[in-house]
Amino acid sequence: MSNTTEKLLRQATVSTFEDLAFLFPEEECQRNDDDTPLDAVVAVDFHGLMRGRLVIRASAELLPVIASNMMGEDESQHMPMQRDALGEIANVVCGNLLPKLAGSEAVFRLDAPQWRANATDARDGDVPIARVCLRLDVGCAQTELYVFMGRERLLAVQTEHAAA
Amino acid sequence: MAFNVLIVDDSAVMRAMILRTLKLSGLPIASTYEAPNGEAGLRLLSEHWIDLLLLDVNMPVMDGEEMLRRIRADERTRDLAVIIVSTEGSSTRLAALQDLGAAIVHKPFPPETLRDTILRVTGVTDVEYYGKAAAASDGLDF
Repeated sequence: MSNTTEKLLRQATVSTFEDLAFLFPEEECQRNDDDTPLDAVVAVDFHGLMRGRLVIRASAELLPVIASNMMGEDESQHMPMQRDALGEIANVVCGNLLPKLAGSEAVFRLDAPQWRANATDARDGDVPIARVCLRLDVGCAQTELYVFMGRERLLAVQTEHAAA
Repeated sequence: MAFNVLIVDDSAVMRAMILRTLKLSGLPIASTYEAPNGEAGLRLLSEHWIDLLLLDVNMPVMDGEEMLRRIRADERTRDLAVIIVSTEGSSTRLAALQDLGAAIVHKPFPPETLRDTILRVTGVTDVEYYGKAAAASDGLDF
């Protein structure tokens, strides 16, 4: 796992939660087995120079807070809107992260966020290339980046950054 | 003059956020319309007079870039004020959108950034509409 990728993932996640949901991550969230499960899961697939998936796993109690902060109390009562709110967070994190990973000229297509019924949503055998877990006002949110194709592009850009 | 505004974004949450910011912006709003993709947005454009379009890029059915190209190719809508509200970070694609005469607001955006862009693009800065406090670039309670 690259420190650079993890750092960029953390930056994109923090700024998105701050600007869109007015939630300010306090610290890294160290997960223990007896912690509240991160059972609200949404994924955004991306295609372009790299192909992969960004996944956000969050504590269920975060959903109404995120939705309320983004839309106001009236609009945030329904579960579909709460799910859509977490999906939009994932979409924005992904959209902001990819140009930083692959270079600003790269063009990507992002699929619509997909809600996952269970927490097992990576492809078989894949492990994320970066993961950050943040403690928010209520509960935790964990962001994971999977790259299925195009890792060489990622390495090339990071080599350029390191040389600069 | 009050504005008719069309918001095109596949996320209902983002449409709600933009609408909320619009209402807080002080812009005089007549009607607002919403569409989940470019094709549905073009249909609404053909049915209603629209003064301002807030447009996402990545959408199913028809994306924002294609919608914008069709708008600029139609003499009835070619001068429409358009703000792209998107996560799009590709400099190639952003340059193409700016060449088509769109202003860009990058997600995630602080509400005041969207408000200031709306005021700039619509060209309405007269305190007759907003009052001195609302016309300033800070001090609004979003």
